[in-house]
Amino acid sequence: MVRGSIFSRLWIHGVLLLLAIVFLAPLVYILLNSFKSADEIFQVPQSFLPKEWTLENYAAVAESRFAEYFANTFIITIVSVTLVVVLSSLAGYGFAKLPFRGANILLLAIVGTLTVPLVILLVPMFLLENELGLLNTNLGLILPNVAVALPFAILIMRATFMAIPHEIEESATMDGAGVFARWWRIMLPMARNGIVLVTIITSYNVWGEYTLAKTLAIDPPAMPLSVGLTLLKGEVWQYGVLAAVIVLATLPPIIVFIAFQRHIVAGIAQGAVKG
Amino acid sequence: MGLVATETSPPRLRRPPLAGQGAVRRKKIRSRRTGRSVGFLFILPALLFIFVFMLYPLVSSGYMSLTEYNFVYDDDPTFVGLDNYVSAFEDPQFVTSLTNTFVFGFFFFIILIVASLSIALFLFQKIRFNSFYRSAVFVPLVVPLSLAGLVFLWILQPNYGLLNYLLGDVFNLPFLVQPWLSQSDTAMGSIIALSLWATIGFETILFLAGLQSIDPDTLEAAELDGARGFKKIFYILLPNLRETYILTATWGILHALKVFVEPMVMTDGGPGTSTLVLYQQVYLTAFTYFDMGYASAMGYILGLIILVLIVLNFLFLRKAGDKNA
Repeated sequence: MVRGSIFSRLWIHGVLLLLAIVFLAPLVYILLNSFKSADEIFQVPQSFLPKEWTLENYAAVAESRFAEYFANTFIITIVSVTLVVVLSSLAGYGFAKLPFRGANILLLAIVGTLTVPLVILLVPMFLLENELGLLNTNLGLILPNVAVALPFAILIMRATFMAIPHEIEESATMDGAGVFARWWRIMLPMARNGIVLVTIITSYNVWGEYTLAKTLAIDPPAMPLSVGLTLLKGEVWQYGVLAAVIVLATLPPIIVFIAFQRHIVAGIAQGAVKG
Repeated sequence: MGLVATETSPPRLRRPPLAGQGAVRRKKIRSRRTGRSVGFLFILPALLFIFVFMLYPLVSSGYMSLTEYNFVYDDDPTFVGLDNYVSAFEDPQFVTSLTNTFVFGFFFFIILIVASLSIALFLFQKIRFNSFYRSAVFVPLVVPLSLAGLVFLWILQPNYGLLNYLLGDVFNLPFLVQPWLSQSDTAMGSIIALSLWATIGFETILFLAGLQSIDPDTLEAAELDGARGFKKIFYILLPNLRETYILTATWGILHALKVFVEPMVMTDGGPGTSTLVLYQQVYLTAFTYFDMGYASAMGYILGLIILVLIVLNFLFLRKAGDKNA
């Protein structure tokens, strides 16, 4: 679109390259440090690249408490995402295709929750979970995570179903399919893009969720990665292992992001507008 | 459902595309068939979650903000009216955390909007390696914030951290070497830096979407008229982003006032109380001192501030937009 001179193009490349370095540096730094031995990490002056590449930090991960944190994060994420996908596909379809009295007010209330700071909700959540014995359990984190993720997911699924033309559904109605069968057999497969987007965005949010976990999982064995790892910030001796865990915890989301970048970016822009 | 089959079995014929009346009648049949409540049934399961873990807590904490309730000492909440709200503003810790939140929010917000808009303008150019640059700017979005906090903690560590190493040894600027997190100003700066690193990608995506939605014909006409470079940016691109500003500013306000993870992980509000923010103060009051009524009141004050700023921003930008139009 812009056909500038070679100079102006070089200038743009220079700025963007500098930005890319600033944004990527923390990630590259932790990646390289995860391959350094403990001695090398505390060496002054340090070297950017490891002098001797070692996998000892990664080997140590399996034996540490980190494995437990990993398991918690994994279970919480899988179950929460499944629930969010199912519930938001149902609700999104309801809002998009099955108008009922009061639907708009409900939708408005759901959108409104997006601006409420989570901290307001923490005290009643804590008291409720304390009452029900859900504190320090994975279920106790799954339930509020699902609730917090749902509003945004419902907006995405509603937009997805709205974009599917009426005719397709009506031809199924002709065949005598009930409303649930239509949702399951006709609409869900056509809403695949929305489902993928909800899956990815919810996975990110739950995988890295901190505030709920910090409040509702107080015992270390119940903690997910996002909170468990921060307990170690004062303990100097395990820095290399810490780097390895951070790499293991950030790599899956980054790989998924690179694979689906276009899709995710378009979805965020769309969802944020609707929200 | 047996009724359904009899009603819908005859017209297996294809309908002509312009049968207006037929369509209306069809719709009537459909809505009677599915009934008014089926839609609600589809929403009900999700609604249960949202009700129990969001709407109920919202109301419950509103009530609790009017009570005195220490989770450890008190059996039941005692109603005290607006006492908590009044005493908050006489509480130096609350006032400090409120001030810190605004200081953080001010710098964070301005840099966030200017930086992401500029980056979006750069990425909007059709140049090589564009998708690599985009990935680099967007990728912090998917890194768990608390873990990014740990990485920043490490980078800023005075003795073996990357930043002091770069400043002191690589660029040979030893006077810039700082104990970043043990001085008030640089600690606040560090938190702002982490927040920006984590959020700029998101806002850039919104600005890019805004730029891409500008009518290509407008752009082309402007270019034919000789609008290039800065002229094009200031006269064509920026004025056409009106709706995008409302959106990006709203999210910017939300991010700015909800800051929590960054100081929790990096500074614990310190040194002293120099990076203690309001969100964190609410959290600590509730779960370290277990003063749940008072915490709820402070949480509501935070929520109200957010609401007021978002509404003001909306009214202000919409009005500015009307004037331009």
